[in-house]
Amino acid sequence: MDLSLNVNGRPEQFAAQPNELLVERLRDGLGLTGTKVGCDTGQCGTCVVRLDGRSVKSCLILTAAAAGSAVTTIEGVTTPGGELSGLQEALRQEHGTQCGFCTPGMVMALGELVDGTADREAPTEPEIREWLTGNLCRCTGYHSVVRGVQRACSAARADAPAQPATAAASGQEG
Amino acid sequence: MTTVTGETSPQGGGVLGQPLDSREDPQLLRGEATYVGDIDLPGTAHMAILGSSVAHAKILSIDTKAAEQLPGVLKVATAADFTDVMPLPCIWIPGGVESHFPPHPYGLPGSRPVLSGDTVRHVGDPIAVVVAETPRQAAAALAAISVEYEPLTVVTRADEALAEGAPQLHEAVPGNLNAYWTCGDKDRTDAAIAAAEVTVELDLVNQRTINSPIEPRGAVGDYNAATGEYTLYASTQGPHNHRFLLSALVLGIPFNKLRVVAPTVGGSFGTKGYLYPDMPLVLLLSKALGRPVKWVDTRTGLMNSTVQGRDHRQHVTLAGTRDGRITAVRCTSYANLGAYPSTIGPGVATALMGRSISGMYDIDAAFCEVYAAFTNTVSLGAQRGSGRAEAAFLMERLVDRYASEIGMDPAAVRRKNLVPKEKFPYDNGLGWTYDSGDYQLNFDRAIELSGYADMPARKTEARARGKRLGVGIASYVAICGVGPSTRMSKEGMLGGTWESANIRVHPTGEVTVTVGSASTGQSHGTVFAQVAADELGIDPATVQVYEGDTLKAPYGQGTYGSRSYSMAAPAIALTARKIKSKLVKAGAVFLGVPEEKVVYADGQVFEEGNEENTKTFAELAMAMWYGWGLPPEIEPALDETTHFDPPDFNYPFGTHVAVVEIDELTGETEVVAYTAVDDAGNIGNPKIVLGQIEGSILHGLGQALMEHAEYDLDGQLVSRDLNHYALPRAIDAPFFTLDKTVTPSPHNPLGAKGAGEIATVPPAAAVVNAVVDALSDLGVRHIDMPVTPEKVWRRLRGEAQ
Repeated sequence: MDLSLNVNGRPEQFAAQPNELLVERLRDGLGLTGTKVGCDTGQCGTCVVRLDGRSVKSCLILTAAAAGSAVTTIEGVTTPGGELSGLQEALRQEHGTQCGFCTPGMVMALGELVDGTADREAPTEPEIREWLTGNLCRCTGYHSVVRGVQRACSAARADAPAQPATAAASGQEG
Repeated sequence: MTTVTGETSPQGGGVLGQPLDSREDPQLLRGEATYVGDIDLPGTAHMAILGSSVAHAKILSIDTKAAEQLPGVLKVATAADFTDVMPLPCIWIPGGVESHFPPHPYGLPGSRPVLSGDTVRHVGDPIAVVVAETPRQAAAALAAISVEYEPLTVVTRADEALAEGAPQLHEAVPGNLNAYWTCGDKDRTDAAIAAAEVTVELDLVNQRTINSPIEPRGAVGDYNAATGEYTLYASTQGPHNHRFLLSALVLGIPFNKLRVVAPTVGGSFGTKGYLYPDMPLVLLLSKALGRPVKWVDTRTGLMNSTVQGRDHRQHVTLAGTRDGRITAVRCTSYANLGAYPSTIGPGVATALMGRSISGMYDIDAAFCEVYAAFTNTVSLGAQRGSGRAEAAFLMERLVDRYASEIGMDPAAVRRKNLVPKEKFPYDNGLGWTYDSGDYQLNFDRAIELSGYADMPARKTEARARGKRLGVGIASYVAICGVGPSTRMSKEGMLGGTWESANIRVHPTGEVTVTVGSASTGQSHGTVFAQVAADELGIDPATVQVYEGDTLKAPYGQGTYGSRSYSMAAPAIALTARKIKSKLVKAGAVFLGVPEEKVVYADGQVFEEGNEENTKTFAELAMAMWYGWGLPPEIEPALDETTHFDPPDFNYPFGTHVAVVEIDELTGETEVVAYTAVDDAGNIGNPKIVLGQIEGSILHGLGQALMEHAEYDLDGQLVSRDLNHYALPRAIDAPFFTLDKTVTPSPHNPLGAKGAGEIATVPPAAAVVNAVVDALSDLGVRHIDMPVTPEKVWRRLRGEAQ
């Protein structure tokens, strides 16, 4: 079947099998290999992308079901070799990676959490850990990733225009 | 979250010891790093492997005709197509024992054929391969291969495999016994136990676990018909080792016609250093088809083929006095090697475990015997903390059992038996000689930091909330820095275990370091640049590190057993010293002064007493490149290599304290606090080591609380994917309090000890000790891992284990 997707701001049209998974289209069809496959059962989260702004596991969704949507992959977060996003920079400073295989999926899954921080209270550590439960990491024990998210949220809130709601919560930063 | 106390300790005032940011991180964060699954060579065909669906059977027939006719299928092959390929070798049969396995043609112990032909011995045992145009076509074709099996009786436990009447896995191995291995002094230990005031015994199951790197393994083979050269891209932690084993011992092709490349590797924890059938298969099929051949495993495939870890059943005994002095320890272990001896699995199950059992304690008599048996399960291999974690578990469980028996505080018993500082180097009587340590300092710091003295009050407070609080201590010594080649040969290891480094200084003053090690996520590019920059007194940003490609780097053994920083880094430091020494000689020429007046410091040479007369590193690099005016005894250019073979291993150590709370109603165990004080000698980059410690602890907690590779009676792996095998998630990580002590090793010029995996060694023991402590008033003396809520719930209701 002929389908179309908007991937990282670019319209893509292609013929796909009905049983094709979105992750196969991204990796094998479009060569966007930043999205990884780690478990085949939706457990590990290395395949997370954003579909119309919400993070989804691309190994659990058919390409056909995503047709017509806007997909953002890790390649859409920065330009090649370019400046890191706030979250990526914070993870870099906290060394929230090791082997890096789970990292793109984590960046995609956590982006939504960090993006929403500017205009509401910073997430607590348990909230960040809950948010991370869909992503497995065997190297880090997650601590450095949690520190990275806390750092990114602090930075996002510091950069945000002052609002009454954020001003009230600012005592929790840091 | 983690609290880290203590300050970082830079060694030479330079960049070594500083928490520099990892230079590998940006590309990992952008998704730009290339893992083996991301390699897309022109014309690539895709391979899929058919694994046995039954655990033990004769293969009566394999029909591949239907598969061959499917769209896109290029080749279907079985064992009959590879009769001229040698079996995969096993290169670590425990030293001093007879190898009971069909020999490899070169007189080595064999392991397994590249594909199994007559008999399958575990679910997932590879029996056929398909190569097709796409991965989906290859997978579809696997389903069209029909295999007729004649089922054989299955055995999955080591002790049962050794019993009379057990099914036999290999004709050449009567009774399924691969090795009976011992260490220590049996008579002395037996006598000490017989004469002891107090003895305690435990029957322990150190359950089988699956390492589960998040990236499954993969391999791409690329044969160049024009040159006759083979290239293997593989998720390997030892490309040089794989090159040696594959070229000389499996394929029978010249060593210099095989290049092995490790791209970015998505975690390993021990599993990716092994030789697997897929590696020769992609090379052979690439040659047969004239195209690159790529294979990437699935998660279920990984669970059923990549080496698994731990898996001992043990009877252990400790003897001591009524006032808390340990006099002997003895272990009888049944180790489950799985269906075939993996590349180094038999050594892991014996020497790495047995020689470590006495831990941090000064014990007069110790003995360990291991029966290493074959069963119808996936082959056994290394797993983060391998061997040492199993040893720490048995010893630390015994110490708690002993403390309870004599009514003494477990911390006090440990304190009383620690190897005293003045006894180093310390021969532990089991084959290891500990290099250095201040165990008392380390132990006391862990006990103090954990708030151990406050635990009675915390227990009372927890009970008021419906929780049972327990505290568990575990200390350990881990052998690292493998190692001295001659020593390892006595352990039965085939091949040298030295490590090499080359430093090349370019005319522009930039430096390239190449090492034989290969990162699986340890930021070697950052840390090794720090080592070279620190020695040479230059900016680490000007140092580039290359590894993981046999064409770029000199030989080396790779990354395993936490050896890279205490093996490759010293090789780099020693090479940098050769460069400095040459620059001092050349500096005499360039500065026009006698050599003894030349000083090398901060990346330049100058005349002693006349610092105006100087040449910078960049000026020297260019001058050496030109080579003008050099006397005949000084060769132009700066290019030096070192092969570092240490005099002995190194022995990091530490003490961890776990605090758990058990819910009276649900039986759920929560680790509410965790304190770890580890000693890895001098540390190169504390930011990177911190991450390794944190990850290691959670890995150990995973074994204690949830991980279990469970086989049913038919030998089917029940925990065959991540829906059925529990890995710790972010919500399972408790608050960590971390600190370190620093006891440099005398066995390398950096004073380094292994660090990467050491913190995986004690957590399982610490947590189980804490759980038993919490349940002790119910008469619970032991509980097997994983400590699931159901198990605890049953014990809370008075059921026996």
